Amino acid sequence: MSDLDVEQSNEKLLIDVGSTYFKLSRTGHIEQHLRDFNKDILDDLMYKCGKTVEGFAKDDVYICSSANGGLTTLIIGITNTFSLKYATNIAFNSGINIIDTVLYQNIEDYSLPSDLIDVVIIVGGINSHGNIFSANLYNYLAQLRYSNIVFVGNEIDVPAIKENIENIDILPNIIDDRLHIVEEHLREYLTNLYQKDIEGKEDIKHLYDITSNQIFPTPYIVNKTLPLINAKFSVVNPFILLDIGGATTDIHYSKDLVDDNLVTENEYDRLVFKKLGVYKSKQSLIFAAKNNEFVYELLMHLKVTENIFEEQSEKSTKILMQLAIFLVLCKISHYRKAYINLKLLAINSIVLTGGITKVLTSDEIEDIISFFYKKILNSEHNPMTVLDSNYDIWTLGTVNTDVDADTYISTKEERGK
Amino acid sequence: MKVVTGVVGNDIHVVANRLIELSLNARGYEVFNLGVNTYLEEFFDAAVETGADVLMISSLNGEAEGWSREVKLLKAKYKNLDDIIMMIGGNLVVGTGNAEDIVPRYKNYGFDIVCHQVDLNTGLDMLETLLKERSIQSKETKESNK
Ligand code: B12
Repeated sequence: MSDLDVEQSNEKLLIDVGSTYFKLSRTGHIEQHLRDFNKDILDDLMYKCGKTVEGFAKDDVYICSSANGGLTTLIIGITNTFSLKYATNIAFNSGINIIDTVLYQNIEDYSLPSDLIDVVIIVGGINSHGNIFSANLYNYLAQLRYSNIVFVGNEIDVPAIKENIENIDILPNIIDDRLHIVEEHLREYLTNLYQKDIEGKEDIKHLYDITSNQIFPTPYIVNKTLPLINAKFSVVNPFILLDIGGATTDIHYSKDLVDDNLVTENEYDRLVFKKLGVYKSKQSLIFAAKNNEFVYELLMHLKVTENIFEEQSEKSTKILMQLAIFLVLCKISHYRKAYINLKLLAINSIVLTGGITKVLTSDEIEDIISFFYKKILNSEHNPMTVLDSNYDIWTLGTVNTDVDADTYISTKEERGK
Repeated sequence: MKVVTGVVGNDIHVVANRLIELSLNARGYEVFNLGVNTYLEEFFDAAVETGADVLMISSLNGEAEGWSREVKLLKAKYKNLDDIIMMIGGNLVVGTGNAEDIVPRYKNYGFDIVCHQVDLNTGLDMLETLLKERSIQSKETKESNK
């Protein structure tokens, strides 16, 4: 049996469940539907596209989801440059959203987040340096509401940590003896938690009625696809990919765009701005816009006034999306605002994916990007914009994770019989 | 004894940095070399993560003074770095300058050992002398506390 047989296997149906939309893709067709939040996800899906779904065997349906908003984490570390930055990087790349980071020496000054946190990550110190954590950590944790907690710091503190924190998971240190990052253990732990979370959510669990394949988090799929992006687009490296969604905005970026102490094996890293989206997070997007000193100029440039924020129209959605692009670029341009700074003048392409590609034209997007470069960076630099209007990135990723997953082997075996 | 070292700021002169790592290793120190192009905050953060005893900053291209003026302010934000030995060496001013003016100025910026255009081995000997003094001092305080 040759690999060719596998490639010629049945047509596949790919489904992405977002916070706002469903997307369905099969050869040559893309459908998109606004979700009904009063309905169970599966019921809603079957109501809107039952016919399509029923035409596929469970083996041929692939689902990824960001509908549960992703897992949330709070990270406690001892420095910005090493422990907090390393854990932040691993969490983002595992598809997790960060609620807050706490610099341990100032732990008493932080206010407690009111949300239930899915996983708390504690990190600090190389293995030969210990006795870092003590009572103020335990006091803080006693007041925090969380579902899981994991320690990925120095070995010396492990016994004390185990004794004082109930149900804590212990993994190898993410900082090695040369102060470099060690990603794999924490990454695997977080991806598994995400998986368990999906399986535990009733809504998502029901989706297993229509697929026999594993349901992956969407950002994880996108990140895995980026090395293959040239198969579909003429993207010039280095590039950033903006996925401006309903609830959050994801940025995936080439590692060439950061110049710092973080040396990982990934070609692309991910960064998330939570509460920056055009539907569920609309209010906080508007809030961020009103606090940006350049936004009024931008509105003037777009020939609208502030009143547009109160409107509910196609026009106002467009403006909101344009604002989102601008705000995201601003957020990654100022030193220390984000945990990492991208060399924006070195970007050759900006790829946009998600709902935004259905609403804005290339011209409208390019207009915002060049406004940003002129106003904020004082530059005529003009990266090429690429619109992923057919969700090719997600399609490519969904199919390709399948190839390295077990399914590939089982398909082969079944066929061989 | 743990030493964090590196070249501060946008400085990319790497030769001395390599020599510093080799010499420190040869003298039995545990070295954490952050390399060229290292910002002040990264030095302090590395000291926190490793529990370093010494911070050895190198500067060759003339940026030293600008960064050194920031040292006290930034270090004050850290709660566990009071005992760290702060050392700087290389070309500490633009042009030649004379050590009699430079050394007190840099001590005022918060450095314990200042080596303007001082040969590396001489500098490392100065460190050993200071370490010996400190260990005698700390023994004395321990005994007087008894
Ligand atoms: C090679 C070199 C370069 C190379 C560096 C290549 C590389 N990646 O390493 C290149 C061409 C890139 C370069 C660039 C520049 N350079 Co240059 N460079 C030199 C040069 C010729 C030799 C440096 C060297 O490697 N020496 C060998 C090492 C072993 O010696 P060392 O660095 O002096 O270190 C010794 C001591 O200082 C001491 N030491 C060093 N650090 C420490 C720390 C401690 C704690 C201790 C105790 C001791 C110590 O130990 C070492 C061994 O004894 C010197 C001139 C010179 N002859 O020194 C200029 C020199 C350092 N450069 C200089 C300048 C100005 C520049 C540029 C700004 C030039 C420009 N206008 O673009 C750029 C800056 C680039 C940048 N971002 O940093 C000036 C600095 C002047 C100043 N401080 O006032 C110098 C002194 C030349 C000069 N006389 O004008 N440079």
